[in-house]
Amino acid sequence: MRMNKLRADVQALLYLLPFLVIYILFTIWPMIKGVNMTFYKWTLIRKMKYVGWDNYSRMIHDNEMWSAIWHSVIFVVLTTPTMVILAIALAMIANRKSRLQRLYRSVFFLPSVLSVAVASFLGLFVFQPYTGLVNSVLHLVRLLPENSEIFWLNETNLSWIAIALITLWWTVGFNFILYLSAMQDIPDEIYEAARLDGANDRQIFFRITFPYLNPITKTITMLQIIASFKVFMQIYIITGGGPLDKTRPIIQLIYQTGFKKNDLGYAATMSYMLFAILLVLSIFQYWLNNRKGANA
Amino acid sequence: MKNVYRVVSLLFAFVFLAPVIWMLVVSIKEEGMKIVTVLDWFTPPYSFAVYDQILSATKLSNWVLNSFGIGVVVTILTVIIAALAGFVLSKLPFRYRSFMFFFVLAGLLVPGEAIIIPLYQVAKDMNLLNSYQGLILPALASPFAVIVLKSFFDGVPNDLLESVQIDGGGTWRIFTSIMLPLTRPALASMAILTFIGSWNNFLWPFLSLTDDNLFTLPMGIPTLMSSYSEDYVKPMVVNTIASLPIMLLFLIFERQIVKGVSLSGIKG
Repeated sequence: MRMNKLRADVQALLYLLPFLVIYILFTIWPMIKGVNMTFYKWTLIRKMKYVGWDNYSRMIHDNEMWSAIWHSVIFVVLTTPTMVILAIALAMIANRKSRLQRLYRSVFFLPSVLSVAVASFLGLFVFQPYTGLVNSVLHLVRLLPENSEIFWLNETNLSWIAIALITLWWTVGFNFILYLSAMQDIPDEIYEAARLDGANDRQIFFRITFPYLNPITKTITMLQIIASFKVFMQIYIITGGGPLDKTRPIIQLIYQTGFKKNDLGYAATMSYMLFAILLVLSIFQYWLNNRKGANA
Repeated sequence: MKNVYRVVSLLFAFVFLAPVIWMLVVSIKEEGMKIVTVLDWFTPPYSFAVYDQILSATKLSNWVLNSFGIGVVVTILTVIIAALAGFVLSKLPFRYRSFMFFFVLAGLLVPGEAIIIPLYQVAKDMNLLNSYQGLILPALASPFAVIVLKSFFDGVPNDLLESVQIDGGGTWRIFTSIMLPLTRPALASMAILTFIGSWNNFLWPFLSLTDDNLFTLPMGIPTLMSSYSEDYVKPMVVNTIASLPIMLLFLIFERQIVKGVSLSGIKG
């Protein structure tokens, strides 16, 4: 493109301007401003006073924060491998030629379009004792004796299981679609050749399908770890972080510190802890994808 | 073996569908019925009375409209803004282009959740809390959309651009008559992803809104639920009204949505 150089620069800037203005105003500027907030006692009403590194030293010794981070880690560990396995299983179901093929695809993705509030409340009702769907079905098939109830949301371990199951049900659709489209890219000839060589279903899965999916599995795993670490809304609606804050994730603690305890400065400080963790994960993911020989 | 596959497949499908079916059926049950076994949920008497009640006595329908309206506005503006920026980064040589590219790329590393507290303060300083502008504006600059669209623009051959220039067309002509039409599938996919993201955006409305006329669904639904007693009919009517439109849209646009979601695998 031949053009007066200055004119070209100005023109490029004009096209970029809408993005830059909003990006700087609502991403870059808050990021900088937030650092400033961490050095203050800062309430919802106004900046109170300069406190130096107090918020940071307080954070290092704050058991509530460490246990909230721990809860987010628990959620990551519970949901990441299960998400990958479930997504592959569903994709295999929907990838098999059958009359119901299209129906499977719709059904497995359908929960993903529900609003987070709807998905969470449905999950909440499904896991209620006495009237919830899960306990009722367990009664019906006699896995649960008639006079006993499982109180899913009153006990920490069961709460985690319920939260993880609801999350899987609600969000697996996205990863399922990624796997399905990756599977459809595997050339049929490879399968045919393997069958001619007498390979069975198991061998075909572990020797062909799974290795082919390796790049997308890496991507999904990392994205899922990051997404799971940022969990908040399902847990907030389903257990409210309970019982006794035992399922409270880090974002909920940040929210409560800022908006319930009126301490935005300290909440901002914890946000940067979260930021640092996610940054390390993102950089690790970037490194994983761009290593020599990786092709995700 | 084949039958085992089939049974397992159907079982999965049933489990995935069960909560949605349950929601739909309970929503048309008459209120106050005694539930002894799971089968009682599915038997008559049915009634739509609660639908009238919810639609007239609550702001739920406003919130559905807010969610859709904000989603549509955010989607259109985000895609336009990202397309403009991606086009420049892909096809217009200018000073600092590689710096700009990395400046945008770095945005992928900034999780919205981690800057939500200072964003609240910034929005407050700008008087944006409790307004549609405050809900919409912070969502419009998506580095992810810019980077993805840039990579699609990269795929448009430069010969095509030169032919427009030979005809005397300027940059704007190139953008509107070559770049946008040739990348329509990518733009559509990006639009779908953006809409789903906006539809499910919870944290920002949750922090920035107190006026219930402006609520979106993820904000509004919990406030309704807390006021209902044991009975499930009202909550399920709320869930159904909030979900039917989006489920219908999904069934109509399923193919495009699936394509759009496949695109998100590029992320990272």
